[in-house]
This record gives sequence, C-alpha cells and structure tokens, in this order.
Amino acid sequence: MESRIRILLLTAVLAALTGCASVRSWFHHRPASTASADQAADQNAPPPKVIEPEVSRRTVKVPRIRSSNFELGADYGVISIEDFGTHPSYGFTLAYHITEDFFFQGEWGRTRAGQTSFETLSGIQLLTESERRFTYYDLSVGYNFLPGEAFIGRGIALTSAFYFLGGVGGTDFGGDTKFTVNFGAGYRVVPVDWLALHVTLQDRVFQSSLLGTTKLTNNLEARIGTTVFF
Amino acid sequence: MIRRARPSALASLLLLLALLAPAWSTARQYLQLFVSEPYLELHTGPGRGYPVFHAVPRDESVDVLFRRTDWFKVRTERGVEGWASLKDMQKMVLADGTRFHFDLGDRAGFTDHRFEAGIFAGAYGGASLVSGYASFSFNRQLALEGAVGSFYGRYSNGYTGDIGLAHVLLPESRWSPFFTLGIGEVYTEPKATLVQASNRSEATAYVGGGIRFYLTRRFFLRAEYKAHWIFTKRNQNEEADEWKAGFAFFF
Repeated sequence: MESRIRILLLTAVLAALTGCASVRSWFHHRPASTASADQAADQNAPPPKVIEPEVSRRTVKVPRIRSSNFELGADYGVISIEDFGTHPSYGFTLAYHITEDFFFQGEWGRTRAGQTSFETLSGIQLLTESERRFTYYDLSVGYNFLPGEAFIGRGIALTSAFYFLGGVGGTDFGGDTKFTVNFGAGYRVVPVDWLALHVTLQDRVFQSSLLGTTKLTNNLEARIGTTVFF
Repeated sequence: MIRRARPSALASLLLLLALLAPAWSTARQYLQLFVSEPYLELHTGPGRGYPVFHAVPRDESVDVLFRRTDWFKVRTERGVEGWASLKDMQKMVLADGTRFHFDLGDRAGFTDHRFEAGIFAGAYGGASLVSGYASFSFNRQLALEGAVGSFYGRYSNGYTGDIGLAHVLLPESRWSPFFTLGIGEVYTEPKATLVQASNRSEATAYVGGGIRFYLTRRFFLRAEYKAHWIFTKRNQNEEADEWKAGFAFFF
C-alpha cells in the first residue's frame, strides 16, 4: 500500500518536473547552453572531406534543325478574261507557311487576251498586241482546311489539304494597271515531303472601263501546278 | 573584248569543286531526342488533322530530320518516319537528360529584336495601296525602316519608297504605339487620258504614327498612318495621306 502511494507521488513529481522544463519558454528566457555552443563550434569547423566523383558531364551539341517552310512552284491553266475570252495562262507562286493553318503566298501569272465579240464582228481593234498581254501579281493569305489523306489503291496514302486563298495585288491589262482583289480555293496533294501538286481555282476582280462603262470584272482562273518545299 | 578563260584556270576550278564535293555530301547530323513521356505520337502529315499512325514508347529515341511550321519530321530507331508536334517534342529530353527547347518566338522577342518585316494593304492619297516594309532595330525603341509600295488610283498609278526612323513608345506592351519620321520618293504614272500626262518622280517627306499588336510566336499586326509632303516641280507642293494595315513578323 505504501509503495503504491510512493509510486503515485513519484509520478506526480516527474510530471511536475517535465512540465517545469517548458516554463523557461513561457517567459522567453533562453540561457545559452553548453550543448548549443558545441554545435556552433562544429558548424564553424571545415566540412569533412567528400570523395568527388571524377565523371565529366555529358554535353550535347544541338545541331541546327533544318526548316522547310517555303514552297516555290510553277503552274499552268486557263483564265477567263471578262469580255476577252478564255486563254491559257502560266505563272509562278512562292508561299511561306507560317503555321499549320496559315500561309502567305505571292503569285505572278501571264496570259494573252483574245478579241471581244465587238472586235470580232466589227473588225475594229480596241487594244494593241502589247495591250492584250494580261499580267497579274498579288499577295495572298491562305488558310488550310480539311487536312486529310488521298488514297491511291490500297497501299498508298498521300497527305492532302484544301485551302482558301484571298489577297490583293495588281493586274496589267489594256495599257493600265488595276488594283485587283483575288479570292479562291485550292487542293494540295503532297506525295513526298518536298513536292506538292496543286489544283487551284481563283477569281481576280478589278474595275475596268475598257468597253466604255466602268464595271467590276471577274476573271476566273483554273490551274494546276507543282511546287517544291525548301 | 572578251578573253577566253584559260584551260588551266578551268581545271583548277574543277579540282577545287572536286575537293569540296565530299564536304557537301557528308551525312547530315541529326538531333537525337529521347521519349520521356509514356509515348510519342507520330502523325502522317504536319498538322493536327492528319491521323496518328505510330507511337514511339518511352526511352526510345528519334532523329529530328527537319521542321515545317510547328511540326517536326522524325525518324525512330526502327526507321519509321512521321511528324511530331512541337508541343510533344518539348516534352522530350536530349541525351544529357535536359529538356528539349525550341524557340519559335515570344513576347520577349517582340519587345527586343533586331529585324522585322511585313506586308500591308491600304490607301495612298485615295488610291489603293499594296506595300511592304523591313526594319532594323538599334535598341528596343529606335529602328531604321524602309518601305516600298505600289498604288493603283483612278487617275494615276505609281510606286512609293520611304526610309526613316521609327520610335516605339511601349515596347513591352502587347499594344505598342510608335511614331515615324522620314523621307522618300514617289513615282507617278498618270493615266494616259489626262492632259499633260507624263511620268514623274518626286521627293517626299513624311511624319506618321501607328500601333503594333503582338499576335503569337514571331507575328504581329501593324497599322499605321503617314502624312506625306510631295515636293513637286510645280508651284504648289502636294500632300498625300497613307493609311495601311497588315501582318508583320520579327526575327
């Protein structure tokens, strides 16, 4: 019985003593202990020697990645010059692909206009031979839509895309240069990475007063072409 | 008198070409990248619309052959060739374990770059205008610019060429305004039906301003106004307003 009371009292004393240990922090009283001084001395001492591995780090020289965003090509087709008949045309295009969706395209083309029905019937020539030369040049923005594949037989799939074109430029015709707006659409098939085949339909609209009245003329052009990516 | 090239000179040129030929024909070095994600998808063409036909598993490598817009043509260890997007490529690692990074331009480049160029459509003194420009930046705010244009009017057609300075006001901003000042030349071809029609070339001076708007990567929109004074040989000088807007890029 007595020993039980003793154990109880000893437990109470132990609990009180451990509780007192936290009292110093109640009053922010922190005497510097010898243990912390020793730790500080350890920190000031030079660090123990570590074995340094003799491995040279691998460095990778990144070679320049070639880009292939330009597309240069030639085309051949027919253009219907309003009032002057339909005639074969040829031209060149240079495109720069900005993103997978958009590209810029510069175009140049030439054809020779025929005679109007008035000229044919009356025999009077409205234009000289040099004035019949029809040359267009423009800058357009293209948008690729419907990207996909064209299939030839069972084994061959070629990447392809339809695209819209729209832009501004000039047309030299009838002894005058006219501001020209163009819009159209095309289809591009890419058999190998550096080569593409195009079919394009484009309308070139400009104001003309060659036949007495000033009017907007539509000059539709259909052409096939081949381009090289570089 | 044209002197004929000596055969010895021709022979030495051929020899030089023969010596240089092996340097040109050496195999190209391709960048090798390792797949660090679970897999890398390969498309049949350079675009999100082309189907995925192959997947390269983790830890395998690919050789980067070339790039078209945001897409890279790659060849796997097994010899399969396909197109991987820039987004997927930037999750791959180099042989030293560092991540692959490819710079396609950003806002910081828009603020601070050396060259820029662009194309415009607009109006010049009431005529329709198509033009282009290029510029060299001395610092973030000051640039030397040159522009050429072709205009198509009711009474005359012609060409313009300008050179001048541009001062960018807020280069850090997405919308950054600028002022321009310079001199130029205008070549006018009056329509043949007019009296006293003769082609003429005249000196000009201009002052103007505009705004640039950063789009993405290396691209921005640019719209500007220039007030031109045309110094004619007649009694009175002429004035022409030029308004234009278009696409531009920096590099």
